[in-house]
Amino acid sequence: MTMTAHEPRTAAQYAAVVIEFFDRYRAHDVHGMGELCAINADFSYPPFEVWGKQRVLRADGKVGTVGKAIWAGLINSFPNLSNVVHTINANDQGDVVAQVDIGGTQQLPWGFVRPAGNTYREPHLFIFTVNPDGLITSITGYWNNAEISQQLGHLEVD
Amino acid sequence: MSILTKTFTRKRSTHVTTTPSDDPVVEFLDAFGRRDVDTAVARVADDVRVTAHGLGLRGQGVAAIREILEDIARAFPDLRVTTKRILRTGDVLTAELKVEGTQAAPYAGAINQEKHLDLDEAWRFEVRDGRIVAIDAYWCQQQLYRRLGVKRFDQIAIV
Repeated sequence: MTMTAHEPRTAAQYAAVVIEFFDRYRAHDVHGMGELCAINADFSYPPFEVWGKQRVLRADGKVGTVGKAIWAGLINSFPNLSNVVHTINANDQGDVVAQVDIGGTQQLPWGFVRPAGNTYREPHLFIFTVNPDGLITSITGYWNNAEISQQLGHLEVD
Repeated sequence: MSILTKTFTRKRSTHVTTTPSDDPVVEFLDAFGRRDVDTAVARVADDVRVTAHGLGLRGQGVAAIREILEDIARAFPDLRVTTKRILRTGDVLTAELKVEGTQAAPYAGAINQEKHLDLDEAWRFEVRDGRIVAIDAYWCQQQLYRRLGVKRFDQIAIV
């Protein structure tokens, strides 16, 4: 068995992985987004909270089991979902931080928000970790759901 | 023996001090966590650009960030800010925070119901010449209102 050492990757190379990730997101290629991630990549969207009477759904887990389901659900509810990447900052350790606007026009229910044909656009901050193989090993995202809800015409907090 | 004597007779300080840092973001967050707004804003440039996405605020200058910090420190006297991690990507530092506290005064339009707040946040800082020149703070205001007992966005002050 021959083992080869990884060539050190540069910040620009790590950033390129994330740029490709958002290109595929814009193309609604959820499978392709997943292919950019390690098989056990961590996923966390802290603002994602759906409160029921006896339970709270949160978006913490793995890309393969939680992340892809959320991305597919968003694309289903907002068929013209798109993104605009404003800034990407990376370092040679594989940390990548991206400021991205995400938005779309609602056609199907999303959480408790009923579709009214309204459009939203909201700034997001994403934090990625990319490994030396060029695979994303963690994704964390932050945004303000209050603004999204109001843009979509949903004025109830829950 | 003299060392032991010194060890066991040394008076305990009642103040907790932190290691001085040359990093303005670390100092900013450390001071924020102690509700020491003056020390925090001393690390930002006079023309700092400030965006607090949760509050829908965009401003420029020290007064803008001072107002944001003072509002939350006033409303949550037991405020606790835990820095989970800081990522350095060139001149940009990104901090993931846990912000906790018990409401004791109105905040962001929400009346005081003495609710407990716990919120995950991310703050992105740009640093130049040893000063913070831009701050983008991300948190979910819906989560914040939920924690504080607000029911509707168009009736924030009504319980």
